[in-house]
Amino acid sequence: MYKVDPKTGKQKFYSTAGFQSIASALISILIGLIVGMLIIIFVGLTREEISTKGMLEGVKLVFFGLFNTGRVDNQLTFGFNPVNFGNMLFRGIPLIMTGLSVAVAFKTGLFNIGAPGQYLMSTAATLYVAIVVPTETVPAWLVWVFAFGAGIIAGALWGAIPGLLKATLNINEVITCIMTNWIAANLVTWFFDVRDYLKNSDEAGKIGYIKTTASNGVETAKMGLDKLFPGSQVNGGIVIAIVIAILIYIMMTKTTFGYKLKACGSNRHAAKYAGINDKASIIASMAIAGGLAGAGASLYYLSGHTEFYWSTYMSLPAEGFNGIPVALLASNHPIGVIFAGIFMSLLNIDGLMIKSLTAYNEYIADIIIASIVYLSAFAMIVKQVIGRKGRKAGNTNVNDEPDPALLEAQRAAAKAAMQVEANDAEPAPAEEEGGNK
Amino acid sequence: MSEYVIEMRHIRKEFPGIVANDDITLQLKKGEIHALLGENGAGKSTLMSVLFGLYQPEEGEILKDGQKVRIHNPNDATALGIGMVHQHFKLIDVFTVLDNIILGAETTKLGFLQKKEARKKVLELSEKYGLKVDIDAKIEDITVGMQQRVEILKMLYRENEILIFDEPTAVLTPQEIEELMEVMRGFAREGKSILFISHKLNEIMAVSDRVTVLHKGKCVGTVNTKDVTKQELSTMMVGRPVQLEIEKKPAEPGDVIFSVENLTVPSKLHKNDAVKNVSFDVRGGEIVCIAGIDGNGQSELVYGITGLEKASSGKITLCGQDISGASIRKRSMTGMSHIAEDRHKHGLILDFTLEQNLVLQKFREKEFQKDGFIKFGAVRKYAERLIDEYDVRSGQGPVTVVRSMSGGNQQKAIIARELDRDEPLVVAVQPTRGLDVGAIEHIHKQLVAERDRGRAVLLVSLEMDEVMSLSDRILVMYEGEIVGELDPEKTNPQELGLYMAGAKRQDKEVE
Repeated sequence: MYKVDPKTGKQKFYSTAGFQSIASALISILIGLIVGMLIIIFVGLTREEISTKGMLEGVKLVFFGLFNTGRVDNQLTFGFNPVNFGNMLFRGIPLIMTGLSVAVAFKTGLFNIGAPGQYLMSTAATLYVAIVVPTETVPAWLVWVFAFGAGIIAGALWGAIPGLLKATLNINEVITCIMTNWIAANLVTWFFDVRDYLKNSDEAGKIGYIKTTASNGVETAKMGLDKLFPGSQVNGGIVIAIVIAILIYIMMTKTTFGYKLKACGSNRHAAKYAGINDKASIIASMAIAGGLAGAGASLYYLSGHTEFYWSTYMSLPAEGFNGIPVALLASNHPIGVIFAGIFMSLLNIDGLMIKSLTAYNEYIADIIIASIVYLSAFAMIVKQVIGRKGRKAGNTNVNDEPDPALLEAQRAAAKAAMQVEANDAEPAPAEEEGGNK
Repeated sequence: MSEYVIEMRHIRKEFPGIVANDDITLQLKKGEIHALLGENGAGKSTLMSVLFGLYQPEEGEILKDGQKVRIHNPNDATALGIGMVHQHFKLIDVFTVLDNIILGAETTKLGFLQKKEARKKVLELSEKYGLKVDIDAKIEDITVGMQQRVEILKMLYRENEILIFDEPTAVLTPQEIEELMEVMRGFAREGKSILFISHKLNEIMAVSDRVTVLHKGKCVGTVNTKDVTKQELSTMMVGRPVQLEIEKKPAEPGDVIFSVENLTVPSKLHKNDAVKNVSFDVRGGEIVCIAGIDGNGQSELVYGITGLEKASSGKITLCGQDISGASIRKRSMTGMSHIAEDRHKHGLILDFTLEQNLVLQKFREKEFQKDGFIKFGAVRKYAERLIDEYDVRSGQGPVTVVRSMSGGNQQKAIIARELDRDEPLVVAVQPTRGLDVGAIEHIHKQLVAERDRGRAVLLVSLEMDEVMSLSDRILVMYEGEIVGELDPEKTNPQELGLYMAGAKRQDKEVE
């Protein structure tokens, strides 16, 4: 895997693991975008209502949708669009957090496919606290803190359940995560179903919605970002998400705690042998992962103006599953997750642009976005190809065996791809409503 | 027709920074057992991987029956009748023995497996060569020795004529080694040609016809086994004269540091207890060896002592403290180092770097952390010191990923970590398993040095030589019980063998 400069004895830049991760992520994204473009062209050629011009516009929007500033004289115009930029950052928040959630679990040898459930539990806890605690008596910022804390705790507890089952009874966390996801979906629907005082009854036509936190005066501070990106939904949540990502990075790489978790994830037996409490580590990993997914939901709904559609009939939030491709795209690196999360949300924006500005309908747009997500999740496989090139020349291990980490990654990528597919097949009303208010 | 079934001429294989094989020529005659001897990292496995098609050599050629051949991948090798038993078995744990043997060479009819024929053929082969296997058992449930027989049957099933054995005895008990050698002799009589990779001189002397010795990637020479002595071979292999017998002063046992009273540990495999009511003491300044055939409760005894498994009853005392119910961490802090039996499962985290592995227990100590943050500088310095002191060799020093290191150096890293912790008791389980004579000499010297510094050493070993040369007292375990305590000065391998096989036992009163 390593190429060494014969003169200095140092590793060559292009053969470092970091470079390979970034390169493979970029290559996957490019492949995804190209495939998205091909789908646009294919659909454009087969549908009569789409003109050649419309098709070219679609292609442009796939690559530069973020910079679209609308349509003037029947021509798309491009430039800095503060609304798109701001919305991209805002919608990136939950993706960054669920991406972190999956990444942390991966790093500690666990596959957290339970992010959607953790996200939902946190949504309920956050909204409940933020709406019920009266801002007349408690300062709004304190309610915000309580609600945020409640969301994290709810997510962490929900994540700890599969962790506990894994640690004590050695039940595969994937199975329990999937089951807890659906339990969460039912639980949350029921929770809101029986609490009429949480429902939005003030506005007509808002049947099935929960009140916004802003109705109780609780909103995330804008931190000046609204000046930078006027007209968008962005707020300080993105700053908080980035800070959390950096803290997680520090925790995983610089602290004894992170070392313990990783040791346990890489080889539970050896960790146990060394006197590390393997059971506690597994539970802690899953609780942290759950807490992160929970924080994502909290930050999303505490923005004040995002609405939760409670009457979802047990669908799972897309943000939860999308954490998996985000983590894969970032090679599970917490800092990489920031960029990967924002990229995923950029795709959302592109999809919206395609939908609203061209003759492509929303389903086509979704398919295009889904295929880009799908291919982006192949970052690990691309990395393996890059790695293999280096490996052929550079392997000094004579007793070579196939690298189990790579096999694991391949399996995970396949699983994630399956999930994304399954997920995209489902309608996800909750997400739609949030952004389109 | 050439005299040689396989000829590898002037093979050169390079990896960046390393020439693994430098102009090596190896000639294998039909019907001979040809040993390939060399230290860890001498290039034996690389050479065999070239022959098996796993690597392409930069220079050199391979001839089969005098015809030049190209071997691009293991399928080519199989087509040429070359089979290999790898050091780490390539078996699927959850498949049965039969399924593993036929995997990749299944007979099918209309896409359906024809297991009946396969079963018949495997049973015949197993009968013919005395390779006893439980054909319907899953791999995960059978012993390592039987797994190896499965690997051998795999080669026979494919009707290979050239059989490569990569360190086949590293994981076997003395009895199994004896059986394996008999099987190998049988193959040779039948005209099959065998390449036998090993660094165990006894076995090479016992079984091989000729030996090719490698040293640091170069061929030192090929000799007829009957013309050389063990000492000569070891000198060729290591490049310097090696002490085959460890020199040590008589032990001066001090106070009892560690004692076990009536320890019973349940078995994970069956309902009986794996360790039954075992009691013994270890004093400072002595090496007490638990001898026995693999699977007689030694592993479970160690698990019970170190806390990896819960003992069902009994009392364990270390440095005057009762640690019977203590956690692994508590035990280790009270004064126990543990060189684990399975270095890949328990000893190391293979995907971590060397320095991370060297602080596996110590990372929580003040020296290496402040307020929960790891002091990377201190870790690096410590790792560099250990690497230097214990001569752990690796590609990139402290930041080498342990997975890429050779087995011998992985073991050295574990030994460095455990001995440097300076605890009064060292529990060493098969510390030299799979290592070459140079490394074994080194480790034996270290264990004796630790003894002379007054530490108590509890050694668990399956190697008769090691037991006889290293220990000050021998406790023989048979079916979970200690059946005898012997003085290595007054006993001999034959007597020890009788105890190990359960044919002889001392009464409980004789202490």
